[in-house]
Amino acid sequence: MNRPFSRSRSTDDSPGRSRLRTADRFRTGLGGLGSRPARTLLTALGIAIGIASMVAVVGISSSSKADLLAELDELGTNLLQVRPGQSIFGDESLLPIDAQSMLAAVATVDSTAGVTSIRADVTRNVHDDDPYGLGVIATDGDIHSVLQLELEQGRAIDRRTQELPVAVLGSVAAERLAIDTLDGGPTVAIAGRSFQVIGILRSHPLHPDLDRSVFVGHRFAEVQMGMKPNHTSVYVRARPDRIDVTRPILARTANPAAPNEVQVSRPSDALEAQAKVDQNLQNLLLALGGVALLVGGVGIANIMVISVIERRSEIGLRRALGARKGHIRSQFVIEASALAALGGTIGVGFGIAATYVYASSQNWTVDIPAPALAAGIGAALVIGAVAGLYPAAKAANLDPADAVRPHS
Amino acid sequence: MIELRDVVRSYPGEPPIHALDGVSLRIDRGELLAIIGPSGSGKSTLLNVMGTLDRPTDGSLLIDGVDTRSLSERRLCALRANHLGFVFQSFHLIESARVIENVANGLIYQGVARNERLRRAARALEQVGLGDRTTTKPSKLSGGQRQRVAIARALVSEPSLILADEPTGNLDSGTSDEVLNLLTDLNREHGATIAIITHDEDVANRLPRRVQVLDGKIVGTTTTEQVAR
Repeated sequence: MNRPFSRSRSTDDSPGRSRLRTADRFRTGLGGLGSRPARTLLTALGIAIGIASMVAVVGISSSSKADLLAELDELGTNLLQVRPGQSIFGDESLLPIDAQSMLAAVATVDSTAGVTSIRADVTRNVHDDDPYGLGVIATDGDIHSVLQLELEQGRAIDRRTQELPVAVLGSVAAERLAIDTLDGGPTVAIAGRSFQVIGILRSHPLHPDLDRSVFVGHRFAEVQMGMKPNHTSVYVRARPDRIDVTRPILARTANPAAPNEVQVSRPSDALEAQAKVDQNLQNLLLALGGVALLVGGVGIANIMVISVIERRSEIGLRRALGARKGHIRSQFVIEASALAALGGTIGVGFGIAATYVYASSQNWTVDIPAPALAAGIGAALVIGAVAGLYPAAKAANLDPADAVRPHS
Repeated sequence: MIELRDVVRSYPGEPPIHALDGVSLRIDRGELLAIIGPSGSGKSTLLNVMGTLDRPTDGSLLIDGVDTRSLSERRLCALRANHLGFVFQSFHLIESARVIENVANGLIYQGVARNERLRRAARALEQVGLGDRTTTKPSKLSGGQRQRVAIARALVSEPSLILADEPTGNLDSGTSDEVLNLLTDLNREHGATIAIITHDEDVANRLPRRVQVLDGKIVGTTTTEQVAR
């Protein structure tokens, strides 16, 4: 028997086959979107909101982290703090008198600064008895260069002024004492003595405790106030590339007799921990964005089901023109994916915009990881395709004879 | 060209409905015929079976000597894409696409490249007298023009057989004549094989051969030697 319709694929590819070119697959799939622009846009918006929130969450937290890390870089992660801990009997221990000089002698240490905390109330006037909750720190002046403390105004305590009754205020301390200018020679009272304020410091992100402190001269405190000369804290600037080998030997160096009574910490660790805490919040927000995305996907599936019902006669026509079930299925899956991809693209745009707005309001540099953008659009595509599967199967399985029947 | 042998199409129910009940019909190449019957007579089912949109419950349909019962779903789609053209009462035009795109869609499932499709669609539109409306949207056309677009879409693939289901059903008598004249011209001048389903005696009487269907059976065939214009 002559079988003109069962030619094999390889010998003949046009007269005996139903075939849809790849370009036409996309053309038919995309054609449905243009015919109802408002509906297309509204449906895509569902996905857009989900993707936008996810991109914004990633972008904002990444910008914030980048900012934090830039700050850390500037402040240096090579700063270590050596403090006395507790003895094995639970008593507060002291650093040896020569701890700072021992630490300064370590080959991988660049510079050191020793300070001593004093338990004393700070008030504005000698006879006030309402303390401001401020700390008092005695310094010989080298703390400024080692910690890179900057002066808002006035000058710092140095080798010469450390012998005089002068004070330098941390930024918070100045605020609490209501001293915002050195004009008129303001004074503060520490432990009943009057001190001339000679300088006010800028706030320092790594050392919020110093912001709340009042600095006095080490020598003056020792001689005039009976302070023990032992440092309560030695700041150590290590060579940046040798920080890991330097840190373990500091305790032994500071107090060879009782290294276990020495605490060594790195102030920048606190900021890094802060960056990690943000991660939890970010995950929560990402999950919320994921829920929005899922809702958007359901919206697409919904609209596609309606579209299949409305376009029944088009489907019938296409089957009559020779479309296979697979052709109809791919048309609707492509349409759903394109709808989602459109939403994804809009969402990525919104997400970037939101990140820019927020980051610039915080004075951060914008940092949006490119993989997040690709993942945003990729996720939208996958959700669209999945959302399109059921409506597409419904369309493909319409009985063609039924679908071409007039139904008005 | 196309032959139905004892075709039965029944739908399950109590009792089962025999939409087609032992229909045998042969249409030769180059024929123009009417399948006429009142609504519910089974003529639409007959057209769907001839167009392979519906499969017979029993009996066989041969197209160019091939028994379609032996063909897979894919082959039937290929058959529709390459050998059959459809014209529907309600036109079935895609409103968002331009006229020429609608016509070119007649070739899309043959895998014909877009440029070639548009070229052939333009030619088909010339043939139906709409060569100047290629870029119009269907909604801007009159009913008669819309049906002519649908006819162009059916003939663009140069099918062996054009099946027209009540092609004048939605048209007034003037445009109805216009469409019928087009179909008879296509038959006479281009040798297209055309089967027109209608319930309208006046339409049927203008065609050379008339097959009467009633209650799923063929109850008579009449022929006229020449069609009066």
